[in-house]
Amino acid sequence: MTNKNHNWASQRDEKNLRMANATSIINNKFVRTENAKELLETLIQPNDRVVLEGDNQKQASFLSETLASVDCARIHDLHMIMSSVSRPEHLDIFENGIATKLDFSFAGPQSNRISKMISSGILKIGDIHTYLELYARLFVDLTPNVVLVAADKADKQGNLYTGYNTEETPVIIESAAFKNGIVIVQVSEIVDKLPRVDIPSDWVDIIIQSDKPYQLEPLFTRDPQNITELQILMGMMAIRGIYEKHHVQSVNHGIGFNTAAIELLLPTYGNQLGLKGKIVPYWEVNPTPTLIPAIENGWIKSIHSFGGEVGMEQYISARPDVFFVGKDGTMRSNRAYGQMAGQYALDMFVGSTLQIDKYGNSSTVTNGRLSGFGGAPNMGSNPTGRRHSSTAWQSLKPTDNPLAKGQKLVVQIVETYNSAKKPVFVEHLDAEKVQKEANLENVPIMIYSEDTTHIVTEEGIAYLYKTNSMTERQEAIEAIAGVTPLGLRSNAKKLNQLRNKGIVALPEDLKVNRLAAKRSLLAAKNMEDLVKWSKGLYNPPAKFRSWS
Amino acid sequence: MKSLWIFPGQGYQHANMLTHVDSSLLHYVENLLEIHLNDNVQDYLDYVKLQVSISLLQVDQVDKLIAKGFYPQLVAGHSLGIFAAAYACGSLDKENLFKLVKLRAQLMQNAYPYEYGMGIVTGLTLNQLEFLVSQVNHSSMPVYVSNQNTPDQIALSGKLTAIRKVLVLAKKSGASKTLVLKVPVPSHSPLMKPIAHSLCEKLDKINIRTPNCVYLINSSGYSTRKPEFIKKDLSESLIYPVYFNSMISIATDFKPDTIINFPPGSPFRKILSQQFSEQHQIYLDQHIFDDSLFLLNKWKRGLYK
Repeated sequence: MTNKNHNWASQRDEKNLRMANATSIINNKFVRTENAKELLETLIQPNDRVVLEGDNQKQASFLSETLASVDCARIHDLHMIMSSVSRPEHLDIFENGIATKLDFSFAGPQSNRISKMISSGILKIGDIHTYLELYARLFVDLTPNVVLVAADKADKQGNLYTGYNTEETPVIIESAAFKNGIVIVQVSEIVDKLPRVDIPSDWVDIIIQSDKPYQLEPLFTRDPQNITELQILMGMMAIRGIYEKHHVQSVNHGIGFNTAAIELLLPTYGNQLGLKGKIVPYWEVNPTPTLIPAIENGWIKSIHSFGGEVGMEQYISARPDVFFVGKDGTMRSNRAYGQMAGQYALDMFVGSTLQIDKYGNSSTVTNGRLSGFGGAPNMGSNPTGRRHSSTAWQSLKPTDNPLAKGQKLVVQIVETYNSAKKPVFVEHLDAEKVQKEANLENVPIMIYSEDTTHIVTEEGIAYLYKTNSMTERQEAIEAIAGVTPLGLRSNAKKLNQLRNKGIVALPEDLKVNRLAAKRSLLAAKNMEDLVKWSKGLYNPPAKFRSWS
Repeated sequence: MKSLWIFPGQGYQHANMLTHVDSSLLHYVENLLEIHLNDNVQDYLDYVKLQVSISLLQVDQVDKLIAKGFYPQLVAGHSLGIFAAAYACGSLDKENLFKLVKLRAQLMQNAYPYEYGMGIVTGLTLNQLEFLVSQVNHSSMPVYVSNQNTPDQIALSGKLTAIRKVLVLAKKSGASKTLVLKVPVPSHSPLMKPIAHSLCEKLDKINIRTPNCVYLINSSGYSTRKPEFIKKDLSESLIYPVYFNSMISIATDFKPDTIINFPPGSPFRKILSQQFSEQHQIYLDQHIFDDSLFLLNKWKRGLYK
């Protein structure tokens, strides 16, 4: 029946052939910096699926610049798979006719351009994925022909050190190394001995020393100086009305000043309430500097991270009880495990958004900006098969059904009007229009209404998980939507009914004194305070330094 | 250093703005175009002298910066400013620039002697304003949504009576500010088609070179490195709104670290300070050239540290 001559190793043969074509420039895995372009033109073929590492922090910037410069007569119609589209040349690859199709998760920093490129037909979108969906597809139907990734150091055998910013490098490399893909790594440095081996040389085909170190953004750093008293008020409400009420033990905070405010309130307001040791000892979060006071004050037992954060290296190294640190003294991060923890191990996700519709769906995709979402849709969703129970998870279990199960807490903290004085609460998300314009299969919603359990605004908290119908859910949202057009549909009578049912809580219901929401309540008021808390171990990037 | 060079159009011209312009450049332009530039208020009532003078001022500053080793990575012109932008990125040469600007100004001056112009509305969204315009626009009352400078500051172009009608409706719909502009031409609207046509014929005989950097397109709000798109923008931008808001959003995605604002005036100060809060910004007409150079050199050193 089977053809005896069938070649079951055709992909491996193809890979070997491509590698053989490049032997003149490869010296035992190593390729000289100046031969990078020739290498890519030899190893990549038209229509290949290519993963280009661009996390939201670490960027394989040398390889992306090189790829954008290759001859489009030789390499074209590539299908790019990138978790984050963040550098200008990521889109130049499409504009220059080298690639045509894109699967991605997050494009915040290029969202204006990507939006224009889709509408003018330069670029076709496969899907906008959550991180975990994208990683998972690498092992199913999006297995790559070539992956282009970044590491800090390589040794002479080709082992890699990725250190603090390991992020998604292992998951990308694994998808290619064991399925006949070619693994090309840019390294900042080639050394005799690595601090530790993060990725074994057997998984690596090519190493190129980059002309300069890979780009790294201090993306999660928020200067406490910019936290407002409204954000402090919302933080106080969240601590009382959510963290304390549900005995939350493990948490992920999204990026933003709202969550930075909460982090800086724990050692002050949290201590006043006697909550130390009772709430949030466990964290899955990037090592944000605003966590330093809570760590130093003894609030936090453990932090696992998706990636590193510029300036936090020495501090992390000196706190191995808290962070995941190798015996070499540097942190190891892993974005895939982080997302997994967000789905299956955490009690709660707390984030922010640009728009929330009347049903409670939220999105950061607005007119003209196709941003994608990064981690939020994984962190901010409720995996329905979960059975790991915790007090917080159980506390959302409906009481009237013996087979009911708990739910992950998914909290959105927003001010009713954004900084451009546009209402955050809207009848329809801009995302609905963007879906049509960009021809997407799904409306780009970041967090679905059904997964959102709480919304916090400067007005109060809506406990959406307690609502019994969509009408009640809409009323709860209206009750805390302030003077936005949506909020004006509510009235005093409706509000009081919802308060009596415990569906909406105002600051006074939570015994939060609005007048106490002062900046003096923050454990650190500026970057200098954070450095002091860290005992001089935190080293802020230049753009956050107002002193010398 | 990765810099964005921004060239405004007309509106902020003033007497004596050419005082520091290189005299040989001034004489070159006067001889080339056979006009005399007096650089006074009277001159700037004349469309040709006004537009040529603004371009002259911008070209002079471009030449001086390039002579000191500064080059743009991104150029963005607004209306008339696109000619200096195309010059700064190496696509358009000096001689053709001035000839084109003179032609454009002559055509504009003669196109609509009276009854036409532009207005501006602050505080309404594009959708809101488009709806109001659709209620007024008619073959005998032509009015169009025009330049989009910020998400809530949008220009109108067309017949003055129609513009005034839209402005009244806009006020009623909650616009915070409405204004008829001192522009005697319905620029950046379909009413400019005949002018675009003449410019197109002229541009077809001119070699537009591949730019040395990214050029932001007025008439689409997008970016390009292709000469054919620049040529199209130079000839046709008068028919379309200037999508300045979009150009600036696109420019942010290219992550410039320094913004150089060319004279005259600083019409976009507010939107630029919002969009580029972390970047160095300089307004060339607020410093003498040596001071600007001092700052630019300082930033260049700092950025390479």
